[in-house]
Amino acid sequence: MDAIFSYLVSSTIGLPWLGSLVLVILARANEKTQHWIAFLFSLLSTICAISLISFNGPAAVIFPGGGVFGDISLMADGLGIMLSVIATGIGCISILFSTAYMKGEKQLSRYYSLMLFFIGAMVGLVLSSNLFYTFVFWEITAVCSYALISFYNDDPKAVRGGMKAFIITQLGGVGLLVGSLILYGTLHTLHIPTIMLKLTNIPPGVLSLAGFGFLIAAVAKSAQVPLHTWLPDAMEAPTPISALIHAATMVNAGVYLLARFYPAFYTVPGWKDAIIMIGAITAILSAIMAATAYDLKRVLAYSTISQLAYMVYAVGVGDIFASQFHLLSHALFKALLFLAAGAVIHSIGTRDMRLMGGLGRKMPFVRSMFIIGALGLAGIPFFNGFWSKDAILAAGFSHGPMWAYLIMLITTGITAYYTTRCVWMVFLGEPRTEIHPHPVSPVMKASLFILSIGTLTSWGMGGRLAEFFEHSLPFHHFHPLSIAERFAEVFTFPMTYGTLLVIATGMVVYLYIKRVRGVVHDFRGIIQFAENGLGFDALNAVVSQVTIYTAEALRYTQTGVLNWNIFGMLLGMIAMLGLIEMGGL
Amino acid sequence: MTLTFPDLVLIAVMALFGIGLYALLTIRNLIRIIVALQVLVKGVILLIILAGYLTNQIGMAQSMALTVIVADTIVAVLGMALAVQIMRKKKSLDTSDIAELKR
Repeated sequence: MDAIFSYLVSSTIGLPWLGSLVLVILARANEKTQHWIAFLFSLLSTICAISLISFNGPAAVIFPGGGVFGDISLMADGLGIMLSVIATGIGCISILFSTAYMKGEKQLSRYYSLMLFFIGAMVGLVLSSNLFYTFVFWEITAVCSYALISFYNDDPKAVRGGMKAFIITQLGGVGLLVGSLILYGTLHTLHIPTIMLKLTNIPPGVLSLAGFGFLIAAVAKSAQVPLHTWLPDAMEAPTPISALIHAATMVNAGVYLLARFYPAFYTVPGWKDAIIMIGAITAILSAIMAATAYDLKRVLAYSTISQLAYMVYAVGVGDIFASQFHLLSHALFKALLFLAAGAVIHSIGTRDMRLMGGLGRKMPFVRSMFIIGALGLAGIPFFNGFWSKDAILAAGFSHGPMWAYLIMLITTGITAYYTTRCVWMVFLGEPRTEIHPHPVSPVMKASLFILSIGTLTSWGMGGRLAEFFEHSLPFHHFHPLSIAERFAEVFTFPMTYGTLLVIATGMVVYLYIKRVRGVVHDFRGIIQFAENGLGFDALNAVVSQVTIYTAEALRYTQTGVLNWNIFGMLLGMIAMLGLIEMGGL
Repeated sequence: MTLTFPDLVLIAVMALFGIGLYALLTIRNLIRIIVALQVLVKGVILLIILAGYLTNQIGMAQSMALTVIVADTIVAVLGMALAVQIMRKKKSLDTSDIAELKR
């Protein structure tokens, strides 16, 4: 049993990485082979990840890594398994989609091997129970994200977007590293369950330093205010990458980190309040930005930021289950939306929503899929987004401050508004320009269909998921509810109807009160002013520019002449000798 | 002043290491650089053996020296193979001609 378990855990990480190597070797193989080898490996790792569920409980695999940082230990508990199923599953579907989307592209082996490398690293990140290796996997996902954003590396916008994403998420990496080192400095271990047990040994000041370090990590990785501007710029990536990395998996790593360490830090004064504040501000600001953007992918990116803010907020009010439940729903419906948007972009060749319109008649299948995703995003009953968003709002209503709850409630209205706007501008209404879409290939349709089934049904797993969490996460507290109980709770809770009313208002306002659109259009200037005025974009630009300039300046030390390098090494050795001589080491 | 055996070996180590380092700092021909690296590493191996001899751990020192010799051989072989490839591609073995990071 244990042996099978450890094989399964290691192959969930190992198979994608093996596939990534195979694809590097097969760089010159014909295109079709590369497509299907990538798909095969991702499918196998998905099967491994899904079969991990049957082991149902906290179990650990330890590879003796030795050294200062301890063994490489992998721990398959509820959080980890859920996220690895999402990472491998959505990864598999995105690769299936890519086989049609990337047809005829050059350098497919680079694309697929980075994608598989990312999937493996993401699974490692969520399964690792050693903070040091969590950090290592965290950084690998950042590198893959950078390389895939800049996949079209002859496009300067893509290169700049990739750089920006990499540098901003590095800030988060530093936060995680500092937090882990602080914990290591006091407890002399990086093993997460041990840290959880020994928490009382940490002085409160030190604990809060570590807590806020992790918070910075989560804010940068999950694109929350004020470090959110990298995500919209990351939309230069090929669309399946946006669906996989920038909607369904990597951006969730921050939320995962907060959820994982919630039992450790919730006593830290101000930690929960800071999270609630970040969540609420991010949710409403990015929802407003989504309501004014014209680039289809940017709208989806802003809505991703906004939905991530819901998850962050849920952690802040203490409902880890609601946050993770929404993470699952969001991964499904947002991947569906991105891939459907990808199908649209692929067939008409533009991302500007002003040039679309009336596409529904020409591609009815994609339209229905997009609408299913959009209804999930807006939170219409019986789609998965409704259940999870409602769970978050209910938790916020009973455990969080009222002002934050009101902001989140208003945000659901804006979400409904921009979702309706997006569907309307792309698929309904009259065509605004002459567009002749190419037919959408059956492979694309199949991957959209799988995700739409997920969006329609994933809420049914809520009860099982909560039980699984309660069973396998000893440091958290959950109240598992069966489907019937959840039904009863949701529909007897008066605020549910309030939420639905707000959502309906958002839709109606877009559809029937045309004047509002003009008002929102006027708003656009204010929002851009606010965005620049509040200094988010400027701040992020400064950070990334300073880094790039420093790197350019330091470049002069890299002469590329071997003799100079040897000279540098000699100087280094002399310095070391000097230090030893002075007793410094 | 009489030189003991360890002193003599140490002088040899310094000579080999010094020659290797000097060559690495000044020479630009890739083949010669590989040879210089070999000379330098030979000095290091000798130093390992001397350290083992002085601390009465000669068995340990021998096994480490053997490891270094194997690693060193691989470095030499790979270096030579790269040099051959570079010569074919760039028609030059001068490190300042073949450096691509330079600007």
